[in-house]
Amino acid sequence: MARRGWRTKRAKKALTAVVYGVLGRGLVASARLDDRVRDEVRSWPDGTVVTLRIAPFGPQVSWRAASGSLEYLGGAEVASDLLVTFKSVDDAIPLLLGMKPVLGSFAEHRATVRGDLAVAMSLVRCLHIVEGYLFPDIMTRRILPHPAKRRASHLTAYVFLIFRTASLEGAAS
Amino acid sequence: MIPDYYEFCNSAKIVSGSHAIEHIGYELAALGASRPLVLTNKQLLELKVATVVLDALKDTEAEVVAIYDDVPVDSSVAVVNDVARVYREKGADAIVAVGGGSVLDTAKGATIVLTHGAEDLMDYRGAESLMGRRAIAFIAIPTTAGTGSEVTSAAVIKDTERHVKMGFTSLSLLPDVAILDPRMTRGLPLRLTASTAMDALTHAVESFSCVQANPLSDCYARAAIDLIREHLPKVMAEPRDEQARLALANAAMLAGAAFSNAMVGIVHAMGHATGGVAGVPHGDAMAILLPHGMAFNLEVAGDRYGELLLGLAGAEVYASTPREERPAAAIEAVRAMMRTLHEQAGLPLTLGEAGVLPEQVPDIARAALNDGAMSMNPRQPTLDELTELLKGAL
Repeated sequence: MARRGWRTKRAKKALTAVVYGVLGRGLVASARLDDRVRDEVRSWPDGTVVTLRIAPFGPQVSWRAASGSLEYLGGAEVASDLLVTFKSVDDAIPLLLGMKPVLGSFAEHRATVRGDLAVAMSLVRCLHIVEGYLFPDIMTRRILPHPAKRRASHLTAYVFLIFRTASLEGAAS
Repeated sequence: MIPDYYEFCNSAKIVSGSHAIEHIGYELAALGASRPLVLTNKQLLELKVATVVLDALKDTEAEVVAIYDDVPVDSSVAVVNDVARVYREKGADAIVAVGGGSVLDTAKGATIVLTHGAEDLMDYRGAESLMGRRAIAFIAIPTTAGTGSEVTSAAVIKDTERHVKMGFTSLSLLPDVAILDPRMTRGLPLRLTASTAMDALTHAVESFSCVQANPLSDCYARAAIDLIREHLPKVMAEPRDEQARLALANAAMLAGAAFSNAMVGIVHAMGHATGGVAGVPHGDAMAILLPHGMAFNLEVAGDRYGELLLGLAGAEVYASTPREERPAAAIEAVRAMMRTLHEQAGLPLTLGEAGVLPEQVPDIARAALNDGAMSMNPRQPTLDELTELLKGAL
């Protein structure tokens, strides 16, 4: 049983790593697609590195802010200015899969924050907007504080996420 | 109502009552400490309030190695670092903090520096991110009945160079002992008594209606509201009534324990922002904004406010008010309390009376939206909604 439990944990972490990848690129795409995300990111100090991590060993995802745009840093170890750490993978999954509100996770002490709480609040608002693009209304009605407002359709957002981000990453490298 | 998941911790030992401060020697010894640094401010020494603690310490085995009385109104990084420096230089092994929220928050900041060897407090900002046990014995003696800081896991410290207020929440910030003695608050001016009591009431109301309210925090919040309703009028009529003063000190402590666990919401978010942008004292901002915040939350937290009518207005009013009218009646009970305090002590009723200018509202709204307290509010406002709410309180 213990071995099965450990395997389940490992599978959950693998799933989390995949979702982090989607969320990571999704947030970058949203900062290009949606002026509300851009304005939020612009309010962060230039060079701010934001990380979401599962305690204690990851996986994690990070972004670096620069003049309203975001650079996706993937799952590499980086020095973070704002570090949001989920206490366990079981705390992260309901949030990442759109089953639980972001703020609900904080309220239930499922995540810790190291860094400027004002940036953390701004990040939460960005995640709300990204969730509006990633999830259908039937899900966002349960997890967002306000009905999702989109600057583009789900399809455009997904195309933007897959192609635009990929091409930009290619150009950057 | 029981949440799917909650956490609750109130580990501070409460020592409450007449001459409770005389037990400070025992409490220090119980913590294994004998060389306390006493942290306070000059005003409390001049008013002979802190002197009560110093006199009590003279009659103990403990040796006061330093009295640090340079704590400003707003706790700052420079002062925190200086306290830590004196603590180390004098070889202290405990901090006894005597004062209001600023002194207690300074003490909490110093414990972070001393425990973690912090060179820059900025590195320790955040929520629940401080790990490890505190290395320093810490006794808190509040001299106001409002902040509840003696039992909270939160501290706010200003970085005056970078012009930012840093928020910290961690269980390691909880004092070991909180001493509530009526001698500490009996000389508090009525204006300040009213303002700080409204701060405590706001802690109780918001913690009861925020998203992390739980059965334990509810008990603390209800008890706090009962004590405020019963004893605030007594103190306003007879300021030197020690029993009533002690009851208010207990109310503030209970409300502090409630909000330290269940958190606060929109009223505090707007209050922090109003203080930051327009310099409105925290208690005044709480008093003015509480009914407005409750009205905003009414559609999602009405049932909870309805329950609070019992504490806010008493059993007879509660019993004679139809169930569906109780939420609005609870807000009206708060407004009635404010009007009384306005007449008795000159507490401002509007943000305009407190000195807020209409052109400051947009900045206040933006700052409130970014305040951590907002995340725990049961209803999330948009920037436009916040702006309208603040305009309504002008």
